[in-house]
Amino acid sequence: MKVRKSLRLAVNILVHSKLRSWLTIIGIVIGIAAVVAIVSIGAGLQQDVESHLGGLGADLITISPGGGRASAGFRGPPGHEQGSTATSTDAENLTKKDVQVLQSVDGVALIQATVSGQGEVYYLGEKASVSIEGVDPLVWKEMTTSELASGRFLGPSDYNVVIVGNSIAENTFKQPLTVNRMITIEDKPFRIVGILQESGGFGGDDRSIIMPIDAARDTLEDVGEEEFDSITIKAANTDDVEQIMEEAEQKLLISRHLTEDTKDFRISSSQSTLETMSDITQTISSFLTAIAAVSLLVGSVGIANTMFTSVLEKTKEIGIMKAIGAKNGDIMMIFLLNSAIVGLVGGLLGIGLGTGISSLLPLLGMGIMGMGGAGMTTVITPLLLIGALLLSMGIGMAAGVIPAYRASKLKPVDALRYE
Amino acid sequence: MESHLIKLENVWKIYQMGDVQVPALRGIDLEVEKGEFLAIAGSSGSGKSTMMNLIGCLDLPSKGRIFLGGNDIASFGESQLAQIRGRKIGFVFQQFNLIPTLTALENVMLPLEFQDVDTSKARKKALEILNLVGLSDRVHHLPSQLSGGQQQRVAIARALAVDPEIILADEPTGNLDSKTGAFIMDLLSGVHREDSKSVIMVTHDFHLVKRADRIVYLKDGEIERIEHNHKEQGGA
Repeated sequence: MKVRKSLRLAVNILVHSKLRSWLTIIGIVIGIAAVVAIVSIGAGLQQDVESHLGGLGADLITISPGGGRASAGFRGPPGHEQGSTATSTDAENLTKKDVQVLQSVDGVALIQATVSGQGEVYYLGEKASVSIEGVDPLVWKEMTTSELASGRFLGPSDYNVVIVGNSIAENTFKQPLTVNRMITIEDKPFRIVGILQESGGFGGDDRSIIMPIDAARDTLEDVGEEEFDSITIKAANTDDVEQIMEEAEQKLLISRHLTEDTKDFRISSSQSTLETMSDITQTISSFLTAIAAVSLLVGSVGIANTMFTSVLEKTKEIGIMKAIGAKNGDIMMIFLLNSAIVGLVGGLLGIGLGTGISSLLPLLGMGIMGMGGAGMTTVITPLLLIGALLLSMGIGMAAGVIPAYRASKLKPVDALRYE
Repeated sequence: MESHLIKLENVWKIYQMGDVQVPALRGIDLEVEKGEFLAIAGSSGSGKSTMMNLIGCLDLPSKGRIFLGGNDIASFGESQLAQIRGRKIGFVFQQFNLIPTLTALENVMLPLEFQDVDTSKARKKALEILNLVGLSDRVHHLPSQLSGGQQQRVAIARALAVDPEIILADEPTGNLDSKTGAFIMDLLSGVHREDSKSVIMVTHDFHLVKRADRIVYLKDGEIERIEHNHKEQGGA
C-alpha cells in the first residue's frame, strides 16, 4: 500500500482518539519546547560572550599576578574582576622591570601597566564601592575600545580627574553622574571629565572608574610603589598574539627567576579568555539541554505507551485489515506513521511554544552570570528548528517501532477473535 | 491436473489449551468447485469456524494440506497469504467487522487500497458496488450510523470490491432479523448466480442451508455427511 494511503489511515486513527492523541502530543510539546528554549538561551549566551569579549580587541594580551595553578580559571581584563583582587595580593606584584622586559618582546605595539582596586565613592551623601583603575592616560587612550559618551579622555597632566563607566554614571547613585561633577574617592576629591558609552556585558569599563595611575597609587590602599596589578600588551599584528604570549612568558620567567612550576603570573589574551568563556557557556548549555532531553524522553515513553494502548484497542481492526488483504508492512506503516505524526505535531507545537518562551525571556530582563544590566539574549537558528522537528519525528517513530511491529505480527485469526 | 478451486486433504487443526491438545478438525477431506455455493453447517464447536479460517488463509492447518487453485497454502509466506486474501477471497462476517472510524465508502475502498489500486479508480469501483447493494445514499455514513442490515451490505460490498473468486461468509445473517437476513441471503445468492463466484457459507441455521448447492455437515471436527441440493438443476 502506498504511504499516502497509510498516512490517511494513520490520521484517521489519530482523529478518532482525540483526547488521548492530544495528551500524548502535549508530552512531546513540553519536551521540544524545553529543548528549543534552552538551546536558544545557550546560543544567546554564547553570542553575548563572543560579542562582548570580541569588542575588547583580539590583539590584547593581559598579564596579571597569580599562581599558575589557577591560570585555567577565567580572569577578565584589568579592573573588572571585583573580588578577585584578593588573589593578586598573595602573589608577587608586577613591577616596572617586568614592563621593561615586556617592551623587548617582538611585535609589541603598546604596553599599559595598571593598578586597580576597590574604592569607596561618595556622591551627594551616597556611598558606593566601585572598581578603580589607574592607567597611563596616553596609552589608555590608544588601547581602550571604550568610547566617550560625553566629556574627554584623560590628559597627560591630569591628576585628580576621572572617567566614569556608563553603568556607574547612570545606575549607581540616585542622581546620575555627569561631566564636571565632583565625587569623593577614598576621601579625595575628583572631578569627572568624561563618561564612557555603554560597552555591555563582559569586559567593558561599564562598572569602573578610570583615573591617572599616579592618582590611583595615592588613593588606593595596598598598592606599592613601582608595582602594577596588571600589564596589558597590544600586539602590532593580531596574528602574532600567540607568539607574543609565548615569548612574553619565557622572558618573564627568566627575569623573575621562575620555572613553569613556580610561575606566579598569568598571561591571557582576549582570544583565550573567549575560549574559556565559550567552554563554560557550552558546558552550561549542554547541561541544561540534557535536562530538557529528559523531558523529551518522558514524552517519548508517553508515545510508546499510547501506541501500545492503541494497538491493543485496534487489535480487531488489525485482524479485519489483514483479512481483507493488508500485509504486515502495511500495518507496520500505518502505526509507525501514526506515532510519527504525534511526534511531528508535538514538534511543531513545541517549536512554537519554545520560540515563544525564548522570545519572552529577554523581556523579563534577567541577567545571567553577573552580566548586570545587559538582559538575556536568546538566539533561534533555522538549524535549531529543523533539528527539533526532525528530533521530534524521530522520537515519535522510535517510540512507535515496537508497538507497530507488534501490531504487524498479530496473527489474523487471533486478532479477529479479539473483543 | 487440478480442477478444484479449493481442496482439503486430511486436514487437522489442533489447538493447544494449556497442557491439553484439543483437535478442532480431524482429518477433513473436501473439494470445492469453482462457482459452487457451499454451506458448512454444524452446531457450535463443530469446527466450522476453524475450517472457515483455514479456507480463508487466516490460519494454517496443523496437519494435512490445503490447496487453493492448485497451490499448497502452507508453501506461502505471510505476505503472499495476505495477497491471496486480498485478491481471491472476500470475507463476510457475522459481526460485520467494518472499521468503525471509516465511512461506508472508505470501508469498501480499503481492500482495493491494500491492493494498490489507484484512489480514484477504487472510489469509482466502491461507489458502483455500494450502488449494487442499494446503499448509494449511505456512502458517507459511518458504520455506527447504519442499521445492521445496511452494515452487512457494506461488508458484502467490501468483500466484492476486489472481485474475488471466493466469498467466505461466516454466519452472515447471525446478527440480523429474519427479514433482513433473507435480504442478505438473496444478495449472496445473487452474487453466486450472476457473477458465478464461489460462495462458502458457514451457518448453524438449517433453514439457510437450503439455498446452497451442497451442504457439508460437521460434527466434532469431522464431516458427518454431505447433502446435495438439486433445486437449480431441477428447475425449481
